[in-house]
Amino acid sequence: MKTRNDCREWRELLGAYALGHLEGDERAGLEAHLDGCANCREELASLQPVALMLPHADPARFGPAPQPPPELGQRVAATIAAERERSETRQRRRLFGGFALGGATVAAVAAVLLLFVFGGGDGSSGPEQQVRFADLPPGITIDATLQPHSYGTEIHMYVHGVPSGTLCRVWLRGAGGASYPAGTFRYRWGDDSDAVLSSALDLSRTRAVVVDTGKRTFVAPVDGPVADLNIHNEEEPT
Amino acid sequence: MIQLGNSTRGALSRERDVREAYAAHSGELYGFAVRSLGDAGLAEEAVQETFVRAWRAGDRFDPKIGSLRTWLFAILRNVVIDLGRARSVRPRVAEGGVEPSVEPLDEALTAWQVEEAMRRIGEDHRRVIVETYYRGRPYAEVAAELGVPEGTVKSRVYYGLRALRVVLEEMGYED
Ligand SMILES: [Zn+2]
Repeated sequence: MKTRNDCREWRELLGAYALGHLEGDERAGLEAHLDGCANCREELASLQPVALMLPHADPARFGPAPQPPPELGQRVAATIAAERERSETRQRRRLFGGFALGGATVAAVAAVLLLFVFGGGDGSSGPEQQVRFADLPPGITIDATLQPHSYGTEIHMYVHGVPSGTLCRVWLRGAGGASYPAGTFRYRWGDDSDAVLSSALDLSRTRAVVVDTGKRTFVAPVDGPVADLNIHNEEEPT
Repeated sequence: MIQLGNSTRGALSRERDVREAYAAHSGELYGFAVRSLGDAGLAEEAVQETFVRAWRAGDRFDPKIGSLRTWLFAILRNVVIDLGRARSVRPRVAEGGVEPSVEPLDEALTAWQVEEAMRRIGEDHRRVIVETYYRGRPYAEVAAELGVPEGTVKSRVYYGLRALRVVLEEMGYED
């Protein structure tokens, strides 16, 4: 049988002991050994945290781990490539926008970046306007490009930084203050595409673009004064 | 900030590095995302967002401070919190503006770590821990079923816990 100095045999009981499975003489014998053996006490101490973690696990999940679908890696690579291209484009756009607005007032520049691109060749009937939402919370980007059509206005929305799955509702606000719905879209992380919406309001009569993300409403003037910009926050959890 | 060995900084700022990081760590990250979100589609979204954020912040990753794996897990943890918030924020806010607790997430992380560690230890060791601990079966019964002495079941439990400890340490677990 085990002697006091036969650490290895006592030690092999430490697992069952740490799990509370040892009883009777075996338990009493081990505890007596532990009293006099610092090495075995140390060994027990290294197993106890593991024993304490076991109840958190679900043994039904000890089987093979779920694997990501093979195309996820390609999607990640494509998303990053698209974002890099987009950020390069935006940098160019910013440079160009700043140049175009060189003579405008500082306030107008701060409120909205307007960029007129003449001669859109895709059936649009006039210059398109790019609208930039200013004073957004950190991390959130909203851009809109408006194209005039005979039926009204086509809106390309780009949103980034709100929680994935956020439902965004968009309106165009007319000169008289009335809002014309332009539709809804859902923002998904990693999706860098523009949402294409349309509204019956003529671009020439459009004064603001309104985006409601459920928790907040963002308004950007299309060519109105800075004061038109208003952002209200409701119950924003941060 | 001046640092020596600048060539190792910003190790994730190139797309090729992201692909390598993805190849090395996406499986584990996905496993934890599934465990904590309980949904394969959301888990894919979370893993994708994790690598996109890692790429955006790639310049800030410093391998001298911690491993890439630890850094990616920290990002994923935030992504999972954001995703959970997006799903559940409105009723919770209505209850008085209380932040969604991160405790269930830490619980999920512990659970996933143990489950992953269990997958990595040997079948003999896993088996005796499952039978005696999770199923609560008597050692004698398990020994008879396996055709080994009862003492062997006990020693396998011991070596099994030791193996779990080693694997958990490899996975970054600290007391
Ligand atoms: Zn000893």
